[in-house]
Amino acid sequence: MAAQPLMRIENLVKHFHVRLGAFGERAATVHALDDVNFDIFEGETLSLVGESGCGKSTTGFTLLNLHRATEGKVIYQGKNIVELDEKAMRPYRRQLQIVFQDPYSTLNPRMTIGEAVGEPILFHKLATKAELKDRIATLLADVGLPPRFASRYPHELSGGQRQRVAIARALACQPKFIVCDEAISALDVSVQAQIINLLLDLQQKYGLTYLFIAHDLAVVRHISDRVGVMYLGRLAELATREELFEHPLHPYTKALLSAVPEADPVHERSRKRQILQGDVPSPLSPPSGCRFHTRCPIAMDICGKVVPEWREARPGHMVACHAVTEGLPG
Amino acid sequence: MMMANDIRPEPSAKTGERLLDVKGLTIEIETRNGPATIVDGIDLHVDKGETLGIVGESGCGKSLTMLSMMRLLPNKIKVTKGEANFAGRDLQKMSNSELRKVRGGEVGFIFQDPMTSLNPVMRIGQQLAEPLIYHRGMSKAEARKRAGELLKLVGIPGAEDRLDAYPHELSGGMRQRVMIAIGLACNPQLLIADEPTTALDVTIQAQIVDLVKDLRDKLGMSVVWITHDLALIAGLVDRINVLYAGTVVEDAPVDALFANPSHPYTQGLLASIPKLSDERSARLSSIGGTPPEPGRRPKGCPFAPRCPLVEAICHERVPTLEGLNHDGAHRVACFVAQRKLEAA
Amino acid sequence: MSVVPMTTTPIEIEPPVSLWRDAWHRLRRNRLAVFGLIVVVILAFAAIFGPYLTPYDFLSQDLNSRNMAPSLSHLFGTDDLGRDVFSRVVYGTRTAFLVAIVVTFIAVLIGVTLGALAGFFGGWLDRIVMWLTDMTMSIPNLLLVVVINASLKSPITSWMESRYLATLNPVYRETIWVDFLLVFGSMALISWPPYARLVRAQVLSIRSRPYITAAQALGLTNRIILMRYVVPNALGPLIVAVSAGLGTAMVLESAFSFLGVGVNPPTPSWGNMISDGLRVWQHYPHLLAAPAAVLGLASVAFSFLGDGLNDALNPRGAK
Repeated sequence: MAAQPLMRIENLVKHFHVRLGAFGERAATVHALDDVNFDIFEGETLSLVGESGCGKSTTGFTLLNLHRATEGKVIYQGKNIVELDEKAMRPYRRQLQIVFQDPYSTLNPRMTIGEAVGEPILFHKLATKAELKDRIATLLADVGLPPRFASRYPHELSGGQRQRVAIARALACQPKFIVCDEAISALDVSVQAQIINLLLDLQQKYGLTYLFIAHDLAVVRHISDRVGVMYLGRLAELATREELFEHPLHPYTKALLSAVPEADPVHERSRKRQILQGDVPSPLSPPSGCRFHTRCPIAMDICGKVVPEWREARPGHMVACHAVTEGLPG
Repeated sequence: MMMANDIRPEPSAKTGERLLDVKGLTIEIETRNGPATIVDGIDLHVDKGETLGIVGESGCGKSLTMLSMMRLLPNKIKVTKGEANFAGRDLQKMSNSELRKVRGGEVGFIFQDPMTSLNPVMRIGQQLAEPLIYHRGMSKAEARKRAGELLKLVGIPGAEDRLDAYPHELSGGMRQRVMIAIGLACNPQLLIADEPTTALDVTIQAQIVDLVKDLRDKLGMSVVWITHDLALIAGLVDRINVLYAGTVVEDAPVDALFANPSHPYTQGLLASIPKLSDERSARLSSIGGTPPEPGRRPKGCPFAPRCPLVEAICHERVPTLEGLNHDGAHRVACFVAQRKLEAA
Repeated sequence: MSVVPMTTTPIEIEPPVSLWRDAWHRLRRNRLAVFGLIVVVILAFAAIFGPYLTPYDFLSQDLNSRNMAPSLSHLFGTDDLGRDVFSRVVYGTRTAFLVAIVVTFIAVLIGVTLGALAGFFGGWLDRIVMWLTDMTMSIPNLLLVVVINASLKSPITSWMESRYLATLNPVYRETIWVDFLLVFGSMALISWPPYARLVRAQVLSIRSRPYITAAQALGLTNRIILMRYVVPNALGPLIVAVSAGLGTAMVLESAFSFLGVGVNPPTPSWGNMISDGLRVWQHYPHLLAAPAAVLGLASVAFSFLGDGLNDALNPRGAK
């Protein structure tokens, strides 16, 4: 892993301002993302996991400047891209792509597959009109679709095929980095496996870097180099996949891992789950101190008062938990 | 007890007595090109006290079979053939008012999306009391008391205070608990859970699975759990039916299914679930292609176009569910698997 | 567990069907819509070519054959000046179409522009446009038209007369254009708000679709997103609204002409023909029946066609 990160996320904050009440009389702030720090290295797959509302998708949208960051920096090629306006952002847009969750609504129903894939190529002037047809055929072949699909419309395709098209469209920009925002969550199990394989193949072929946002830990465990666990807008833990799954430190990570079912009836029947009580609190008024302390089985006094520091507990293993960092020097 | 090879495994609570017995049920949908078959002569059954898992991908007809049997689907979708016996009575021959007594009374339901399955303008206490008043003839006060007990049963903190809450005041997990409480309101003999955890987060999902497991053991009811996630139900069910394109392709006790999956589709499904032991970047096994659309079912075995073991006969004839000779409770609808196991 | 190697089998699919062609197929299966479409096509044909094909001029009077009942030589009979009613109804179709098309065109132009801008950019622009829309919709239609007619008609006509006397330019002689100008103007002025609201709502809903975010993520400019993503997807409901709007405009034109604030005699309009026929309908019912029947037919046809287009372009339950 290169020491120089492809992208560095520093103190990223995203608050949404909403109006509540029948007449919008109450203003409120959704703390979607608070003080998030991490690096993404070239060629790796970094996954973000967590439950709905934890801010994992917001992270993806904000670091691509699709949502305006409230505070913080995203350094890419020496530039803080979250402060760029749409025009200055355009050259970076080409390099930084995203694949969305719902393959049924991310394609314009009025455009053929060929038009959808060809559009970014022409827009970013990555090929001439004469080369376009070949380029589209190559891209479709890359994602395992025959060239005749170019003349079809999205509604004629299955979910898996549409997700392939969405990937081809992202690839058309010749990106360095792709955010996969729950890109396989809406697909059936057997199709999921096809798309995971495809993503892995493309990563090898084109040296892509992925930020993989998902809630399915089995899939994340399969494809990630490093995994970050988010809870209610903050990063709880970040480590290599082996570290995180073998030696989880944060009590939330432990609970999350213990909730994942295994495809083994004997093991499942005998296993003792550590089941978290209660639900995730509202991001409108997140708990003080450590945001997990209201559900944490080992919460201490300090947890409700002081936000735990984001610290390296073991080499390359970051965690934000008072109970873990208490034993660490300094 | 009509079938010859009726040898069932004998786990814990089961009595071997049929509670639900579906035979040759065929379901068609009106399309603009005429009726299309979605479920093709399906056979399945649930014994008293048994938990059955129905597994399949979207569009395989897993929810449709259960819902259409109870006449819970729009008019476009119709049962055209077959019978569904519940506690010895054919549901298809019942009048709408008789069937209404079965629904919510003897059979409880939990649906996928607890937000849209609850009436947003009704307090949850009222929604819970409704089936009690309708099916059990309880007075309002009795029903309210029972509603409070039910909320406690499904583990809602401060149960009595929550009776006057509206659905939007509860979280997703809590709403699903309310749905379960409604499903259980009349002590049903059978609980049909249609992907009840799909919309929920993994920690909440674990809570719900454990809750249903506890309640089943406590109340001794049968459960049909419909899902696309084999791993989720591994520790919950006694028996699994794998559905593909509207037919049961494999029917086996849960341990046998995971230890010795015999239909190539089941094998493919299990192989496409990522495992702990997998190396990173190891390719997952996957099933090529996509399931057939309703109305475009291939002749012969519906899985034949995607099957790695396909032979000439698979395109000609439709295989039926046959018990494997070493284990009659493990049945599979595949010519190749049947022959292989007979030879072995 | 024995894992079987899985292969990829190509799945055959049907030749491509565009959404438009798909909609056309659905439209063709709807009998009422097809009926509506046929009637609309016949009427449009009559409006364009009718006046050149009718056996009589719509103005030529034949005082020897007044108030004649329908016959082979006069299909719909003749009126009190001996004019052929059929020829006049055909010419009335031209009037109706001309007014309907021009008015709808202007209304759509104003409505779509304002609605799209309001929906896409939001903020103060949206507030102003919506305020303007509500204001316009709160004005009573008929009152506005009567006021415009009363206040603007005579100054314009007298100005044109004076210009004609001064220049002898024949352009100024035909005051019929004042009729049309006033009808077009006043009707367009009251017809655009529904289009603005519709398009704004469409754009608002489309703007939040994932494919718009996907297009933004590709770095596409707002102009491309508006033209290639927003507009084509908003087009379906707009087509439906335009089809219904054409029918409404025709009825409105007839209503105004009937009341004497629309197209004035001698230019035939179904409305002023109905108005004339109404006075003598007990004696010569055909004078009322012919224009009224055609107006009814046209109105019903546009409404069937609009409904059919609605079903064809927004198929519920179809994928």
